[in-house]
Amino acid sequence: MTLRANIMAAASSPSSSLLLLLLTSSSPWLPSLTLAYVSDWHHMTPSAPVEPHFTECISRDQVTFSCWWSPGSFHNLTDPGMLKVYYQKRDIDSPTKTEWKECPEYFHSRRECFFDRNHTVIWTPYCLQLRSRDNITYFNTDYCFTVENIVRPDPPVSLNWTCLNVSPSGLNYDVMVMWEPPPSADVSVGWMNVVYEVQYRERNSSNWETLEVQLEPQTQQTIYGLHLDKEYEVHIRCSMKAFSKFGEFSESIFIQVSEIPTKDSFSLLTLVIVLAIVAAAILIMWIVVSQQHRLMVILLPPVPVPKIKGVDPELLKKGKLDELNFILSSGDLVSGPMYSPDFYQDEPWVEFIEVDVKDSDAGEKEDIQASDTERLLGGSQPARHRVGCSNVPSFPDRECAYDLNGPAEDGTTLNCMLPGQPDDRLASLCVDSERGERLPVPSQTSGPQTWVNTDFYAQVSNVMPFGGVVLSPGQQLRTQEGAPASNEDVKEANKKSQEKNKQKEPQFQLPVLEPDTVSRTQQMIPPLYCSIPAESYQSAEPQPAAEASRSPYDSPDSPQAQHFSPVADYTVVQELDSQRGVLLDPPSLQSASSCLSQHPLKSVHALPTGYVTPDLQGVLLP
Amino acid sequence: MKRVSFLVVMLAQLLLSVASAPICAYGQTGCPLPTLADLFDRVMQQSSRMHGISSDLQSQFEHYLFPSKNMLGKWKCHTHDILTPGNKQNAQNIDREQLTEVILRLLGAWGDPLSQLHQSMRQDHNKNHGRDFSHSSSNKALEMSDVMQELRDGVLKMAEKMKLQGAFSNAVAVVQPEEARHSSAFAFYKRGTLSLLDHNDLLYCLRRDSDKVKNYLRILQCSTLPGLEC
Repeated sequence: MTLRANIMAAASSPSSSLLLLLLTSSSPWLPSLTLAYVSDWHHMTPSAPVEPHFTECISRDQVTFSCWWSPGSFHNLTDPGMLKVYYQKRDIDSPTKTEWKECPEYFHSRRECFFDRNHTVIWTPYCLQLRSRDNITYFNTDYCFTVENIVRPDPPVSLNWTCLNVSPSGLNYDVMVMWEPPPSADVSVGWMNVVYEVQYRERNSSNWETLEVQLEPQTQQTIYGLHLDKEYEVHIRCSMKAFSKFGEFSESIFIQVSEIPTKDSFSLLTLVIVLAIVAAAILIMWIVVSQQHRLMVILLPPVPVPKIKGVDPELLKKGKLDELNFILSSGDLVSGPMYSPDFYQDEPWVEFIEVDVKDSDAGEKEDIQASDTERLLGGSQPARHRVGCSNVPSFPDRECAYDLNGPAEDGTTLNCMLPGQPDDRLASLCVDSERGERLPVPSQTSGPQTWVNTDFYAQVSNVMPFGGVVLSPGQQLRTQEGAPASNEDVKEANKKSQEKNKQKEPQFQLPVLEPDTVSRTQQMIPPLYCSIPAESYQSAEPQPAAEASRSPYDSPDSPQAQHFSPVADYTVVQELDSQRGVLLDPPSLQSASSCLSQHPLKSVHALPTGYVTPDLQGVLLP
Repeated sequence: MKRVSFLVVMLAQLLLSVASAPICAYGQTGCPLPTLADLFDRVMQQSSRMHGISSDLQSQFEHYLFPSKNMLGKWKCHTHDILTPGNKQNAQNIDREQLTEVILRLLGAWGDPLSQLHQSMRQDHNKNHGRDFSHSSSNKALEMSDVMQELRDGVLKMAEKMKLQGAFSNAVAVVQPEEARHSSAFAFYKRGTLSLLDHNDLLYCLRRDSDKVKNYLRILQCSTLPGLEC
């Protein structure tokens, strides 16, 4: 039914009827309908005149509107003035009463009826009617509308475009098209809400590409994916938002972007430069890696760090003093010069601090105190596992450490007690706890051992026929001069430990070092030295003071001159203090050469590495 | 074909509504209060949505029932007694407060008729008078009433904010929602079932009033916040 009505309406014009005929001839399923409406059409007058009617009513700005009419097939009504336009406005005030008024302004040349702003009301239904001149004939069709539904905005103006970017391949580019709203549409007040539709096409093609209608008003639009070296045509049209009627298209603008040839060469050059830089970087890296060791030596020369031969360098790091103490006290170093691993195989240039490890019970400070010199000299010492002074004649029981340096220093002798020495001297030599009981204690707080060591390194001045060695103490000056840097540190540590020692009971005193003790022990055996005669002791009196300045147990107020006593070239490391200080044995005092010192060698097991060179060992050992 | 396009349009409107849904509409704790511009944006989106739905409803009706869209039934709407500016000049001359008041009255006048329309459409669907279109129409009518209610609340909030910010020259109290009730709304349309003609008229009036509201809101926005959008 509805289809039929539609076709009937469409068949009112002859052109449409021809079209329908064509349709029916082409499509097979319409024949019945065709018959039906053809018959109807025949009922109508064959030359049915088309009544004058309104073709369109348009408002451009929603303020005024115009309507155009057509006389149809009534040719006698084509003259201007033959037809009149009447309109009816359904006002709110008078809903029932309707008045037909004539068109306020005619434009007969265009067959247009224009309603100006005074006659235009929005949201109010208008109905237009065409009448003949004499107001007799009323043509049936009323053209009814409301103004907001017939708005078609003017096209936008001032179209312009810019190139946004070019794709990396250089074939496509994006374009931003800008424009301005039509001047007739009052967008700034908000009276009209205009949205735009952009269309573009290639110059030669006939199909327009349509971009989506904007949802919100924007006066710019991006077109993506245009090809280089192709010319494009763009035009835009407007509509009211949420309405479907569009205005006319604007004038077209043409977009074309040509190639940019320099870009490729530029990129090629940059590529070459980048590759060259990368190759150079790789070459430098390779050189650095291959010559790593050499570069390391050049750039970062090795810093001497404390290295004690036979001791794992790990232990010399901070915080591992206990292990080091243990090793040093337990005598592993000494015991195994052959067995202890050589930690410094790859550093032949390393200079070592060679530690004299006491062969005493581990962990007892008293045991460590006895020096190698004691062992060398101390035949009078009891058979305790103490340093040195065990049974006199037994050489192996005596431990003495000495370094057989070259006879660079002359006149420095360390006189050690020999087995053949008188007992009193021997007795005076060895002071240990047992002896110490008999002897007046150098100080009230003298520990069991009052032995003061001689140096680790004492120059051998003479070798006795029976195998003993006469050691000479180092010279003071030389020692002072040649004091290694570590000695300075040691001195500081000694000072510290000295202070500490002052606070608590000194475990042992070096009676030689303190003037008062010296005086007290005058009758004693001078603890350091085996056979220091009294006179020499006297002369050596200032020495201890002198030495005191450098010994750990020095009293600070021993201002004696330091020029007297010959000081050993090497200072024996007496002990490793718990406060990480190395306690040095005060060097040996110069003594009269009356006492021949036959230095019994230490037992082999207590002989530290390096103290005795192999050739001398054969000489010295019995 | 048209049906599909309507469904698509409805989907698009739903998506739009989701995209434009307010995150914090009523100042819950922890939410930042929206600015006046935000309120305007949301209100505009809602009004566009409302207008879209009403257009769909009307055109849908017209298509199925009346081939000629120029045919109109009654010309009178139940909101005819609300004085609204009819052209641009009047709309510019009116005060902001009065314009806001007009908007609120228009929105308030449609609460009951829309629910009536929805019920009537549902009854038609149950009676199998309409086929598919009636079901979707009744859903749209329901959606329309919801949208209109939200819009009215949004405009109220916006009016309060404008009053606070001094956008109103006169300190006129904005009309309360209760006053916007039209007594004539009940009498204007028949209670109970509305004929299809009445449906059409109602939908025509609905579309017209929603367009008015949208336009007035736009004018209000551009006069209060003259920014990039105007």
